[in-house]
Amino acid sequence: MTVVRSARMLVWLLLCSASALHAQQPVGDTLRSPTFGRRPPPVRGIAIDERLAVDLRLRVGDTIQIGATAGAPTERVHIAAVYERRADPAEVARREYRVRLHLDQLQSLLALDDRVDRFAMATRGGAKGGTTDSAVARINSVAFGFRAHPSRAVAVASSRTFRVVERFHRAIGIITVVASAVFLLCLLLLSVEERRRDIAALRLVGLSRTTVVRAIVLEAALVAILGSMIGAAIGWIASIVVNSHYQAVYRTPLTFAMLTPGIFAFATSLSLVLGVGAGALAAWRLVRTPPLALMGR
Amino acid sequence: MRLTLATATLKRHPARTLLAILGIAVAAALLLDMVMLATGMSESFRSLLLTRGYQLRIAPKGTLPFDSEATIDGATAIVSALRASPDIKAVSPILGATLSILAAPIPSSFALGLEPVVQGDYQIVHGLDMRETGDVVLDGVASRTLLDRLGAHIGDTITIASGLDAQLRTSARSRRVVLRGEGRFFYVPDETPVLAIPLTALRTMLGERYRDRMSLAMAESRASDSASVEGVRTWIERTQPRITAISTETAIRQVEERLSYFRQLAFVLGAISLGIGFLLVSTLVTLSVNERRGEIAVLRAIGTQTRGVLLQVMLEGAMLTSAGVILGLGLGVVSAQWLNGILRDFPGLPASFDFFVWSAKAAWRSLALLLVSGALAGLLPAWRAASIPVARALRDEAIG
Repeated sequence: MTVVRSARMLVWLLLCSASALHAQQPVGDTLRSPTFGRRPPPVRGIAIDERLAVDLRLRVGDTIQIGATAGAPTERVHIAAVYERRADPAEVARREYRVRLHLDQLQSLLALDDRVDRFAMATRGGAKGGTTDSAVARINSVAFGFRAHPSRAVAVASSRTFRVVERFHRAIGIITVVASAVFLLCLLLLSVEERRRDIAALRLVGLSRTTVVRAIVLEAALVAILGSMIGAAIGWIASIVVNSHYQAVYRTPLTFAMLTPGIFAFATSLSLVLGVGAGALAAWRLVRTPPLALMGR
Repeated sequence: MRLTLATATLKRHPARTLLAILGIAVAAALLLDMVMLATGMSESFRSLLLTRGYQLRIAPKGTLPFDSEATIDGATAIVSALRASPDIKAVSPILGATLSILAAPIPSSFALGLEPVVQGDYQIVHGLDMRETGDVVLDGVASRTLLDRLGAHIGDTITIASGLDAQLRTSARSRRVVLRGEGRFFYVPDETPVLAIPLTALRTMLGERYRDRMSLAMAESRASDSASVEGVRTWIERTQPRITAISTETAIRQVEERLSYFRQLAFVLGAISLGIGFLLVSTLVTLSVNERRGEIAVLRAIGTQTRGVLLQVMLEGAMLTSAGVILGLGLGVVSAQWLNGILRDFPGLPASFDFFVWSAKAAWRSLALLLVSGALAGLLPAWRAASIPVARALRDEAIG
């Protein structure tokens, strides 16, 4: 199968940063290289992503031809591995296929000689004591046409998509919490007010205002907790549906919706506070009204 | 009369009415935002693609424009063939690459190679447009981000280079560029520094391999109706097997597919807000009807028709919803601006792309939906009110 001729395929060729088996042409091969002098097998192995394997019905062991562009020279390779993509929100909507090759293999395919997009470095002192910062500063002071960045800066930049989505979700969350809070407050006030006659009767048989308020507040709290439980159950079921739907749509292991203990605690607490507040407010308004007035007399 | 009675009923419990209006307003605002989100992305993307009238994008086979580093070889022949077509008004070839900037605060910039006469990628904001000259010093148009990062001004000269050798500290090719103007680049994110130079100059800079290459071409069909554009698109794909021609509609479909998450989120939250509005109105009106059984029975007893009571109660629901919707309209526009500000921070999005776009038609449609939902929410309690057995209700009212 000539993969490069497939019109549907967009291969995003990634430089493989893992230890590279060097090609016959010793590009970048030095005495210090752990693979110095080793010759690659005639047909080299590559790794392809699961999406590509499924769509083109490829399996480990299959042999294919790969090339940079249609019509360009190709190389015969065998599929050594099929890998699952990372659960990365920044890549979730990207539909292209991916292939992982040996560094020199890709350089050769793209006729890029001794070029790389980037490489990672580990400093001897680790991230502590400003070793990394001083290394970055030293590299940048002599850099010509490139720039070194500390990993944390790269991580901040590459997680921007994630942070934007998080901020958006938080904003939507605030709006829905406000809407739900008003709704809950309204419902609880109404449900208490609907029982004006019952409350009047309780007051007339001699129950104190405090007892009535306590009873109503307790009832409101129970309703709020029960409602939260039911809401959490609906949310949990919804998260299963959402995850299975979007994981299938985007073909990713990414978890889109998650009911965490923190979220459950927040929702329950908010609901409880609102319930108790609304119950107390409505009860206080009613017990201040004379029982006969509540009866409509 | 009916209106006065409904107003009086709502005024009887001001706190309750106010809370219900507030609840409906928040629901209306959320619904409006979600409708703006669901329709805004397409509209924004459509207007972005049609900024300069080009309805077709021509990209390497199987790719989207600038979605990969793939380029189209034999660009001159393809562009000539397209320009020869009587159905095509203009073609703008584009080559994109990263060029180094020598002795500058930033090591490199994204460069666009364009034909100045037909380019549809930028608009001059300050200064002058570039010219296709064969001089030693090239003309260039820079984005505001590039000018800021370089600390340069219009009229300054910079040196661009390609094929750097980091060990020998030399470049294979370099040119001096005078920054003649500042451009607003339509399709490039705000944070990306961009330099536009003539296409031929960029090809020369990139070396022999790029002598006849382009990343993308934009084409404008003479007839602007979708059928004609689609006809041109089909013709291009049939005659040029190595490229993919994408119409505005196809591009929108593909972007919608990528951003379907937001559309579906908008649909779910829109449905929830409609539900909240419906439940609020129905609960409030039901309670109001229960409280006024005696009053409604008296109205029936003095000759008010069942239909009259039905309309009266439904009117209360509609008034509550209307007040909430009016308030929600303002709230929705404000919150949409806020949410749009958040989403516009997405990396890689063109500067002029918006997620939430105000569309009067879509807004009125969504708010009308909420109004209808509010009126319907009052239907069941209204029916119950109209069906009250008069004698029993009067007796209950009399004996408490």
